Amino acid sequence: MATEDVELKTELAVFDQHKPEWLRSNPGEFVVITGTSFAGFYPDYESAFRAGLRAGIKGSFLVKQVCAEDPVYLIY
Amino acid sequence: MKWPRSPATLLQEGPHIPILISATRFELEEGRAVGLEFPEWRINALVDTGASLTIINPEIAKTCKLRWTGRAKIVAVGGMSGEFPEHAAAISFPGTELPSFDAIRVVACPIIRRPFSCLIGRDVLQKFKFVYDGRTGEVELRAETRTRSGDQD
Repeated sequence: MATEDVELKTELAVFDQHKPEWLRSNPGEFVVITGTSFAGFYPDYESAFRAGLRAGIKGSFLVKQVCAEDPVYLIY
Repeated sequence: MKWPRSPATLLQEGPHIPILISATRFELEEGRAVGLEFPEWRINALVDTGASLTIINPEIAKTCKLRWTGRAKIVAVGGMSGEFPEHAAAISFPGTELPSFDAIRVVACPIIRRPFSCLIGRDVLQKFKFVYDGRTGEVELRAETRTRSGDQD
């Protein structure tokens, strides 16, 4: 399903909704979400992104690692 | 691959290297097959061991039509902090035999007070050996493979 939500708000809400169960079932893996649908879990960002493309998703889609806390990246 | 310059230049400018950034290969091929334009942008990127991931100026993401794949929380010393868009990009090193990245996550965050549009972070460096020689001015990236014992192949 294509998404026009360029800020990925829908996808991020879906992620937050499912995060507790995914932390138990797929911790550390990367999930692909488009709209309210998910397109699987993958071991790294690249394979998750490729899977999103292979699924024929047009436009933006969410690739997000299943973590208890979102990492904060430091730039010095 | 070595990038020689004078020690004074290296001191002044830092370790920057030319890179080519674009949408991922698959998107380029698919898009061009139907007549869409996906620009590739050659830029000088600063190798920044203080950056945990690779940062680009938002203009690059827009021009190269990089696909948005999420948001990242960034804390930058003396600069922007907050949530910024993550994109998937291809990064290669023109004129070298260094392996390229076909789909790497980059974060579009304004790079202020620095004359670069890209900071190469430790996510890229984890694939390389990086040598900074302040005595000679030389910067080197190597893509050596290592055996389990840690010896070079």
